[in-house]
Amino acid sequence: MYKKILTAVNEHLNSEVTARYAMNLARICGARLYLCFVAEKEMTASTINRAKEAVKRIFLEAEKIGIEIEAITETGDPVRKVGELVRGERIDIVFASTRKEDIERRFFAGTIARRLSLSLPCSMAIVRVVHTGRIHPKEILVPLKARIDHVEERAYFTAKIAQAFGSEVFIFHSPETVSKFFHGEIHLTPIEWAENLPKDISDFMEHMKRYRIAHAGRSVPGSIGRMITIEAFSKRHDLIIMGARQRSMLSSILKGNPVEEVLRNTPCDLIILKPRREG
Amino acid sequence: MKIHNLTKEEALRTLVTSENGLSEEEAKRRLSEFGFNEIKEAKKKPLYIRFFKQFTHFLALLLWIAAFMSFLSEYLHPGEGMLTLGIAIIAVIFINAGFTFIQEYRAEKALEELKKLLPFYVKVLRDGKEKEIYARDVVHGDVILLSEGDKVPADARLIETSGLRVNNAPLTGESEPVLRRHEAYEGEFIESHNLVFAGTAVVSGSGRAVSFATGMQTEFGRIAHLTGAVEAGLSPLQKEIVKATRVIAVIAAVVGVFFFLLGFLIGRSFWNNFIFAIGITVALIPEGMLPTVTLALAMGSQRMAKRKALIKTLTSVETLGSVTVICTDKTGTLTQNKMAATKVWTIDGGEKARESLLKIAYLCNNARFIEGQYRGDPTEVALLKAARETIGDFKGERIAEIPFDSERKMMTTVYKMQDTRLGRVAEETGYTIQDEKNRASFVSFTKGAMEGLLPLCTDSLINGDKTPMDETVRRKINDEYHAMMDKGLRVLAFAYKEIDDNYKFPPSAGSPEAEKVKSEKLENSELESQMVFAGLAGLEDPPRPEVPEAIRKCHEAGIKVIMITGDASRTAVAIAKEIELVKGNPVVIEGPEFIRMSDKELREKLLEKEVIFARMTPKHKMRVVSILKEEGEVVAVTGDGVNDAPALKKADIGIAMGISGTDVAKEASDMVLLDDNFATIVNAVEEGRTVYENIKKFITYIFASNIPEAVPYLAYILLKIPLPLTIIQILAVDLGTDMLPALALGAEKPMPGIMKQPPRKLQERLLNFSLISRAYLFLGPIEVAACMFGFFYVMLNGGWRWGEMLSPNNILYMQATTACLTAIIITQTGNVFACRSSRESVFSIGFFTNRLIFLGIAVELLLQLFIVYHPWGNKIFGTYPISFSAWLVLIPFAVFLLFADEARKRIRVLSP
Repeated sequence: MYKKILTAVNEHLNSEVTARYAMNLARICGARLYLCFVAEKEMTASTINRAKEAVKRIFLEAEKIGIEIEAITETGDPVRKVGELVRGERIDIVFASTRKEDIERRFFAGTIARRLSLSLPCSMAIVRVVHTGRIHPKEILVPLKARIDHVEERAYFTAKIAQAFGSEVFIFHSPETVSKFFHGEIHLTPIEWAENLPKDISDFMEHMKRYRIAHAGRSVPGSIGRMITIEAFSKRHDLIIMGARQRSMLSSILKGNPVEEVLRNTPCDLIILKPRREG
Repeated sequence: MKIHNLTKEEALRTLVTSENGLSEEEAKRRLSEFGFNEIKEAKKKPLYIRFFKQFTHFLALLLWIAAFMSFLSEYLHPGEGMLTLGIAIIAVIFINAGFTFIQEYRAEKALEELKKLLPFYVKVLRDGKEKEIYARDVVHGDVILLSEGDKVPADARLIETSGLRVNNAPLTGESEPVLRRHEAYEGEFIESHNLVFAGTAVVSGSGRAVSFATGMQTEFGRIAHLTGAVEAGLSPLQKEIVKATRVIAVIAAVVGVFFFLLGFLIGRSFWNNFIFAIGITVALIPEGMLPTVTLALAMGSQRMAKRKALIKTLTSVETLGSVTVICTDKTGTLTQNKMAATKVWTIDGGEKARESLLKIAYLCNNARFIEGQYRGDPTEVALLKAARETIGDFKGERIAEIPFDSERKMMTTVYKMQDTRLGRVAEETGYTIQDEKNRASFVSFTKGAMEGLLPLCTDSLINGDKTPMDETVRRKINDEYHAMMDKGLRVLAFAYKEIDDNYKFPPSAGSPEAEKVKSEKLENSELESQMVFAGLAGLEDPPRPEVPEAIRKCHEAGIKVIMITGDASRTAVAIAKEIELVKGNPVVIEGPEFIRMSDKELREKLLEKEVIFARMTPKHKMRVVSILKEEGEVVAVTGDGVNDAPALKKADIGIAMGISGTDVAKEASDMVLLDDNFATIVNAVEEGRTVYENIKKFITYIFASNIPEAVPYLAYILLKIPLPLTIIQILAVDLGTDMLPALALGAEKPMPGIMKQPPRKLQERLLNFSLISRAYLFLGPIEVAACMFGFFYVMLNGGWRWGEMLSPNNILYMQATTACLTAIIITQTGNVFACRSSRESVFSIGFFTNRLIFLGIAVELLLQLFIVYHPWGNKIFGTYPISFSAWLVLIPFAVFLLFADEARKRIRVLSP
């Protein structure tokens, strides 16, 4: 599915960590890896040098493990330049790390990650790096909602990342609490929740089985964002892979935005996958 | 692969840093990338939103609508008293909101306590130079300099150590310092010896570490996040109240709408119907219920405080009564934490061997006897005491020590014997200990867990001789070890080793070189190998005397008790049997097995009747609690350490130890045991169950008066008589006269047998059919008879004729409504006695045993006298003084109600 993977590298440590995720995915998929550094106008020489050093480090690492790799350095607007590259080289997926503003601004409004995810014609993995001690994730938490778009690509991406690191996948579903007017909240045991697992999630699990990925899962009702972070904190997961459904500003204000919540509070690295052509 | 698996060079490379640390520029960049190294509170709903929610729940919305309609009708149809009603309803909304908010609001201080464990300043290397910076400015890749007394600011990988020992108590609960090294480690991340974690403290030595996780991403941040974000959810009582208010609200609304339409059909005017509909709705809503419940809970918490259980959240009072599982620590809670060495065992059983063992216990010990008191760890104190009392005091020069740590599970000391007496005794007992005048030999003494120590022994001390240990002796030792554990003893093994002359020994104790040797050379396997096994000592921590009775009560009350202990499984089982916690063969789950188990397997094990967790650390508690809660259990859990905080928050009832507990645990808990005693939990459960029963009693009492408040409206519409009871008079009962007697019912003592019933089922409703039918169909109708009798008694005696309508200001009419109101008050005095129990005769439980009832009745009657005879009371409530005879004719109704209910109870007891 992924034959060409591009990862954006800059002067920040998190872009280097992000590149390693891309590199490992490229290794397992047998894909060609593009390392792309776009120097913005206001960058100082030392910053540019630092970014170039990072590109060099990743390049050497990738070469060492036999990945077909290409390093590209450009100048200009990162969103435009990456867009051109993606279109020109027919890239399948782009990896980019989050920046400070992705975390600080509500709904990612106007951030590079947001602009890239809106403009690129390919899949995109936005990586938030928070823990540099967990180098190869052993346990991956995959929160899923009842209806999953692009279930095949999501499963493929998760499976390949898991294969790359020899990880176990833990599927987590946080449905809304069941309640009735006169009875209030209805308590369901995990077995009862499992029996009522949404079809898309069952399909996803089937895919995991097909890819021979060790996996387990559970449903815990509650506020989605909060439950995901609690699960990740309490079970010490090493990586979270989740989707990013577009929510309107109004919907985000009224219902909250789980992705935003997890992005802010994640205890481990987080990959937000936006599959190709997802609206 | 994680950072602890890498060599230090690989770790530095991965973090893109060097032994000289980061440059200032890079540190600044990383600070903007990863943020400050600080503990932040998980985002919660702001206080004002939480307060606002109290005005928007279902019952509140219904009351808002009623208030709005009252104001509307006052505007369109002035002079009907609807303004007063509207104001009264809004007052009710505010009172309810205020009470509930106070009940739910609790200042979160656990995080504040956690933050105190982090340093303010820290030394790091920046641009190759040592620099002191704010701990919050530490970033990934910073090289942190650690020395004795420092607190660790972030999770970091050690790259250099010199006798570095850290106290990991905030994370692991183990207070013994652990040695840290910088070599790569293959085991578990959290147990790695080359990592230091934020919030822990350097006890001795020094080191350099490179940071890889900061702020909320550290292990310490994990505890903080779980402590802050985990919520136990609504308490069982809160859930019941939500359900009850919905039922009441729907009944009130449906009845209101039904009679509005009925009145419309029989041709009454719109406004008459409208006022009537609001009146009947108000009559059926028990406005005083929520404040009364809150006050009853507050009184329950006062009673619990007297029984040494300090309640921090009011709703926990009742939650305790619903508890189905108690997960409890052993040491200090089930036992007295007064360790005593009750058995010393040696292979030959001789006196000399026994003395040798006690000497090891004396010398391999950090407890002290100072000013007539033993000080130190309870286990060490017990050993020191046993040794002193048997062999007396003696001195030796300790030149080195390898402290206990959880990996080795043993401790070693090295002595140079200067006391000739000791040298003599040593010779006698078979040790080759010689004073410095001779060949300057030294001896190391080791004590520790049997399973760790025995494999390191090659010889044993038999009849004063060092004898090679064969399989028979090993088996004998193991058999005795198991036998001692089966008696509930905590067993420690003792060994010694002669150190040969070639051993490279530290120059002198206390010098930097000695410190280094102490920690790095001595800890290696040289000293703790090829030792001579001396024997075993069994330590007993006697159970608290009141615990077996408390456990028995739990069993009778259908509460499952799960022991979670760090002790070995045999010891745990033996203690459990001694306190009658288990009778058969319990399921015993040990720490390592627990880690390997899937949730499903653990869930199945937890369903067993008798479960014990042994060799556990506090960090595992939260998983046990989560699974039990998912299974629908109402869980109470005890804890004292910092890392107990998430489990304490997650449980329905988190119970912190008042004496041994950390401030973090106390802040995260719902209840603090002032005496650390398990029996206190059981007392609190009994109080909790009583509170729930009492809530049912006063709800029956309050609901019974709703019927005589509603029926006059029916009579008004159906019989075409003047309205016998006004809306404001209904509120006088609901929010005035009923309150104190209801509260007095909330203070009833536990009924006999309350701890012999199983815990309340989650499906069991607070407003069940039995309660509603007793209030609405039995007690209520008697009160209806009284109030209608009172009304007609005054009306007919005043010359009223059927069908004649009187104006609201008519004195006769006002007297009649006053009599109707008085009838409710009088019958409620009989009702309050009837409601003291649902099954038992009030005379059998003691008519005078609850003095608050009499106080409540006195206040109720005084209030009524004010309403009837004081001009202000008349003005506010539209009443008018009535004759004494009107009171007298109503008293028999109260007596009748009491005895009628006594008859009902009798029939209920007799019926199968």
